[in-house]
Amino acid sequence: MSAEASNPAATPTPCEDSQGDGRWMSQHVRFVSECKEREPDVVFVGDSLVQLMHQFGIWRQLFSPLHCLNFGIGGDATQHVLWRLSNGELDNISPKVVVLWVGTNNHGHTAEQIAGGIMEIVQLIHNKLPNAHTLVLGVLPRGRVPNPLRERNAEVNKLVQDALSSLSHASFFNVDPGFVLSDGSISHQDMYDYLHLTAHGYQAVCEPLHAQIKSLLEKPAEN
Amino acid sequence: MSGDDLNPAAVPQPVEDRQGDGRWMSQHTRFMQECKDGEPEVLFVGDSMVQLMKQYEIWKEMFSPLHALNFGLAGDTTCNVLWRLQNGELENIRPKVVVLWVGTNNHDHTAEQVAGGIVAIAQLLTNRLPKAKIVVLGLLPRGEQPNPLREKNAAVNRLLRSWLPRLGQTLFLDVSNEFIHSDGTISSQDMFDYLHLTPAGYNTLAKPLSDLLLQILEETPEERRASLV
Repeated sequence: MSAEASNPAATPTPCEDSQGDGRWMSQHVRFVSECKEREPDVVFVGDSLVQLMHQFGIWRQLFSPLHCLNFGIGGDATQHVLWRLSNGELDNISPKVVVLWVGTNNHGHTAEQIAGGIMEIVQLIHNKLPNAHTLVLGVLPRGRVPNPLRERNAEVNKLVQDALSSLSHASFFNVDPGFVLSDGSISHQDMYDYLHLTAHGYQAVCEPLHAQIKSLLEKPAEN
Repeated sequence: MSGDDLNPAAVPQPVEDRQGDGRWMSQHTRFMQECKDGEPEVLFVGDSMVQLMKQYEIWKEMFSPLHALNFGLAGDTTCNVLWRLQNGELENIRPKVVVLWVGTNNHDHTAEQVAGGIVAIAQLLTNRLPKAKIVVLGLLPRGEQPNPLREKNAAVNRLLRSWLPRLGQTLFLDVSNEFIHSDGTISSQDMFDYLHLTPAGYNTLAKPLSDLLLQILEETPEERRASLV
């Protein structure tokens, strides 16, 4: 796709410690240790939508039994995830499935750049884990009413879905159950701040996702 | 005490919509609507530490039954909370207790300024709700290892401990010590990103807070209401 040098969303970049407590690096280091200690069948990687999933009961109910690791970090954009996966978070493990959910925090990037960043991550995962299948989740709509970020996210999904259609080691999965209502609004019952999911919102996302992951795990190993 | 007009942490300020989806204003508008719809006995106000509490089971178990409203907004500083409270989030409600938890996001301000901002909010609350008790929660430590923000938050707490008693009607609850292990680290079992609490982390805070709220609510005589609940 687009040349990495000209796409900031596809250039591995660690997060700067602008606040002063080194939390991003602490989380990354913890994830790298988990790779040494655990043997996951599934690894979830992405931003706060991944990270918060781990805090709700639904994780223990649906995903713990599948031997999953959760490498989500709040605020991460594609270039941050790319850096983390290039610097230890895919080492010493051989999961059958990698679930990738990122893109909504790429502020200042175009839909094309964000899609390019996502595809760069997909390629990296395939290089490091040739036997794994990458499930790329669609970026969700956001904001209480229609706004430019909804359009951007929808465009990202369209571009990514197209690019993935020709690959056998990765696929696109739409986890939006219809969060946008007929009047164009998103309910705070689904997204308490019109971006992050409530327990109810996660229920709607995770049940189909769980079924999809299970079917991937049950397939014979990819070449 | 710091003069409010010289303290940037005590200047009311809304959050600009930089991302483009207007979410901060949407949440503020929703909170104003909740003021019209509800008759809360307890009002929680602050940043993501308050907001996230409502997403876990603990809220339904311990705080909903107290008829509590939650006006937490992730990322908010003392300036943002001050603005929200002055611009509609105290209209038409007469809670008996307000729980205030804010300050950890005031990155541009010193500990003195942050404490001054928190006191300014507590002052506003006692002015608007003269019969209410204000429970100020201490800022929790953050970061996996000791770091300057831990020192800053601890300094804010020390200042609050000495300044808040002058306001009257105000109580201070600080559970910071519960989170730091003997080796100085904070566990991801308590704070999944070394800032935000896990459900287990909230349990540590919820018990003493709930006990305190129940105590306050039992002490406060029921006001006669015109309409039946």
